[in-house]
Amino acid sequence: MAERLSNRLHDLRAERELTQAALAELVGVSRKTINTVENGVFVPSTLLALKLARALGRPVEDIFFLDD
Amino acid sequence: MPTADDIETADRLTRRRARMLPVLAIIFLTQQASYFAAVVEEGSRDVDHVKIGAWLILSIVMLLALTTGGFWFKPARIRALMDDEVTRANRTEAFRIGFLVTMIAAIGLYFITLFEPVSGREAIHILMTLGLAAALLRFGFLERRALKYG
Repeated sequence: MAERLSNRLHDLRAERELTQAALAELVGVSRKTINTVENGVFVPSTLLALKLARALGRPVEDIFFLDD
Repeated sequence: MPTADDIETADRLTRRRARMLPVLAIIFLTQQASYFAAVVEEGSRDVDHVKIGAWLILSIVMLLALTTGGFWFKPARIRALMDDEVTRANRTEAFRIGFLVTMIAAIGLYFITLFEPVSGREAIHILMTLGLAAALLRFGFLERRALKYG
């Protein structure tokens, strides 16, 4: 069974009117990291997923979900 | 925490690195062609030893750049941003490809030595060159892909 981790990072970021760079600054990572996670190019570690959730003020399940 | 300026600087340097590495890999490979031409035509002269020394230094510098991310004289916080999760994952994948290419080259060399003598130095040269160039090209490709959607 092919499973893929999808995310709503772009929408949630836009909802909070944050640019990729601004979210990167909040999380303490590079803009490339935000960019690749948003586009599904990179699956983040649990640590990064939790940091993103904290920065956006949402549970991690609201941002990441399995697309099977 | 990094500032907006740090993130912008890291972003700019990451793009520069992604552009530079494949070019360096091609220059590195091209340099090897002249090395092998010199060995076949001239044998072992002083100038050939200089060329080999230059190749070894270049190889070490490129290996260190690939392993550490380069830009050694930049502040640690910028280098940490440039060595983020994505970069580390890309580097791991690049090392995997480099290792695979080295092993395939070693198998190829084994068969070549059945028909043609290959010196230890030549074998090391071939294995290091192919392995390192493959890893550099793969890392550059993955980094460019990661930056593509920005």
